[in-house]
Amino acid sequence: MSIAIVTDSTADIPRELAEQYQIKTVPAILVMDGVSMEDGAGITRQEFYKQLPYLEKPPSTATPSAGTFEKLYRQLIAEGFQKIISIHVSSLLSGIFATAQLAAKSFEDRITVIDSGQISLGLGFQAISASEGIRAGLSVESILQKVEDVRKRIRVIAMLDTLEYVRRSGRVSWARARIGALLDIKPFLEIREGRVLSLGQARTRQRGIKHLLELYKSLGTIERLGILHSNAEQDARELLSKLGTSLIHNPIIVNVTTIIGTHVGPNGLGFAAILK
Amino acid sequence: MSEGQSSPQSREILDMNNNQPIDGMVFKTLANAGLTWLRTNQQIVNALNVFPVPDGDTGTNMVLTMQAAYDEIKNTLYKNLGRIIHDLAHGALMGARGNSGVILSQLWRGFARSLGDKDILDGISFSNAMAEARDTAYKGVVRPVEGTILTVAKDMASAAENALQVTNDPYEMLIYIVNEAEASVERTPELLDVLKEAGVVDAGGKGLHYIFEGMLRYIQGQPLDTALISVQPLAAMQMDNAMESIEPGQDFEVVIDFRPEVHFDLQSYYDNLDQMGTSIQVGEGDGIYRMHIHVPTDKRYDPIDYTMSLGTITKVHIENLLAQMNWMGTGRPDQKLSLAPIEPGQIAVVIVAPGPGIARVFASLGAAAIIEGGQTMNPSTQEIVASFENLPTDKVIILPNNKNIFMAAKAASEVTVKQVAVIPSRTIPQGLSAMLRLVPDGNFEDVVNDMESSLDDVETGEITTATRSVEIDGVAVEQGEIIVLHNDKLILSAATLEEACLSFFKIAKAEDFELITLFYGKDVSKSLVNKITDLIRSNYPDHEVEVQDGGQPHYQFIISLE
Repeated sequence: MSIAIVTDSTADIPRELAEQYQIKTVPAILVMDGVSMEDGAGITRQEFYKQLPYLEKPPSTATPSAGTFEKLYRQLIAEGFQKIISIHVSSLLSGIFATAQLAAKSFEDRITVIDSGQISLGLGFQAISASEGIRAGLSVESILQKVEDVRKRIRVIAMLDTLEYVRRSGRVSWARARIGALLDIKPFLEIREGRVLSLGQARTRQRGIKHLLELYKSLGTIERLGILHSNAEQDARELLSKLGTSLIHNPIIVNVTTIIGTHVGPNGLGFAAILK
Repeated sequence: MSEGQSSPQSREILDMNNNQPIDGMVFKTLANAGLTWLRTNQQIVNALNVFPVPDGDTGTNMVLTMQAAYDEIKNTLYKNLGRIIHDLAHGALMGARGNSGVILSQLWRGFARSLGDKDILDGISFSNAMAEARDTAYKGVVRPVEGTILTVAKDMASAAENALQVTNDPYEMLIYIVNEAEASVERTPELLDVLKEAGVVDAGGKGLHYIFEGMLRYIQGQPLDTALISVQPLAAMQMDNAMESIEPGQDFEVVIDFRPEVHFDLQSYYDNLDQMGTSIQVGEGDGIYRMHIHVPTDKRYDPIDYTMSLGTITKVHIENLLAQMNWMGTGRPDQKLSLAPIEPGQIAVVIVAPGPGIARVFASLGAAAIIEGGQTMNPSTQEIVASFENLPTDKVIILPNNKNIFMAAKAASEVTVKQVAVIPSRTIPQGLSAMLRLVPDGNFEDVVNDMESSLDDVETGEITTATRSVEIDGVAVEQGEIIVLHNDKLILSAATLEEACLSFFKIAKAEDFELITLFYGKDVSKSLVNKITDLIRSNYPDHEVEVQDGGQPHYQFIISLE
């Protein structure tokens, strides 16, 4: 039985990896100055982050239409896939999951839509493990179980340069409640069970990076690692070298998508890790 | 203080020769006498400041604690002694403020426990109760220090025990106890070097002495509302404790410096001021007198007119106390305090902040409740409990941000069913450092440990003006000089704020840090802040410098290095 894996662009899976694992990606929508662009088209991530702090009108994001999903599902079935596992960004942070679910309705039980409860590589790693399950010849049920097991072991933690973008996004109630931070702080966030939790904050970037290292070390042995940054490539490389990751197979570094960047701002730094 | 406080000596005097048994009602009267005498001498106790900074006013704290204790029993009519003392102890516990107040409440707790439901106080039960009071107080302190109120309580208990050899009459025993209390207080400097260096006796011990002496004076028919010492050294006057002691209707604080004419009669000066207002203090130094009084709005100029008739006024200061009180409630809408919403099961942090600006900074970092307080304003156990009792979570962390508040915070943690941890933050920067580590959804113990270990991540500088001349830790300080505390320890004195700031940065090795945060106090002008900020920026061009309006009293600057 052939199974296809679908995710959305907030999974931050690099193109080569997506091709390698045969994962289909539906692009989310970025709206800048009233112009809608599919994620990855129209503006590069580097350029986006450079402009972001100076944009008069803050950009916004939108979910792809149900039609986009339906078209992709139909196409995959036409290609001969009998089942589709469609796995998406946390339903508490985005409408993408709901949209995919809506589109999947007309295909009855051929499509299983999963709420990953995660973002970025926290989602991406789940999609990759699903794909690995297909290669191992697992059934849909076994793959779903495997993904759930991975989900429980995923930790996504990041230090942002400011809380301002999160606050503005309105998606995080505790951040919304805080009047613009009076002190210059670098907030730490963790994505857990679909929600954005506060993990404290640091006053300086240097101390923040140190704290990020401590948080990483407290996790124990890591099976898979991705460094996440929003246009802080240099810091991301340094972080990776400090993590002592020689044992980890192919850690990747990702400049996170503009869709997430809109809500976290530039100069964020963090990681997605699967615990062993 | 509070309304309806008639002083007990106006009632009929107990005749100790008649040996009227000490039941609940008699003890109530004695407690009021102790409170009244303590209040009369409150400023003297306050003046026994070891530190040349406006320190947690021990006298005020003890009066407020004793007041809360007495309030608990003043309207009850139990004749049962044990019942009355049990209620008194409960009131003391809930009203406990400052370290001395908490220890005082522990003394009453032990006293009450020992008496059980006894009807009458006799010599043996008196002696046993004093012993149990001593034991309970010692147990309530993690590292008991001799030369403090604890030692005085211990000596009083020994005196009671020894007195049993000669008498079983509690009235007579009281004489032995009070005499020993006085002697014990005088010995405190021999036991505690900081007292000796500052040339004072222990304030808490002195307060305890006044409470028992008040009882004795009442029995002996001596007045309780006139302090034996009526003029204090100017340096010892506490001008800024107004927040704690505003009486209804006494909305204005007036402070007058004056040089009296030759025939200045202090007694009649006091008597006339007494017609105008409350909280009267008169200090003297180098022929200059300073008078402090709280008066109603319509009488705010009366003390000035009156004093002018007696001599030459050199300086007048008038302040609206009510405006000062409302520091957190008012202000521009954009400066309104916005506290973090707490979800059930999350960890809530309660902080004590000395100024509105500092309160706002803590709020912006996710504080769930804020209690006004600090160096001279120690919140009571009850205030602390009230701040978190209604939060929809049972996990609470308290950041006292001042060592004078540790014990009240700890007492608060013990009278609630909630899980409460007190992080021993001694300064505002330490409190902020801990606050940064708050993980509201984290494991309680982990978060507490993490916050506690972060206290040392930051260096604190506090810059203030010395309120008295003293030598501490080898640093000689003249009254009026600028002094610098580094991590809560006096390190130097300086002639100017600029010099003080730069010296602090040098000693604290600012070059090893990357961020300087400056919280300026409520009495510092914007231009001075700018001047100091420029100075710091030019001396430390590679550092990030953040300037915040802290709004704190007493301290011109609170500095954090990280």
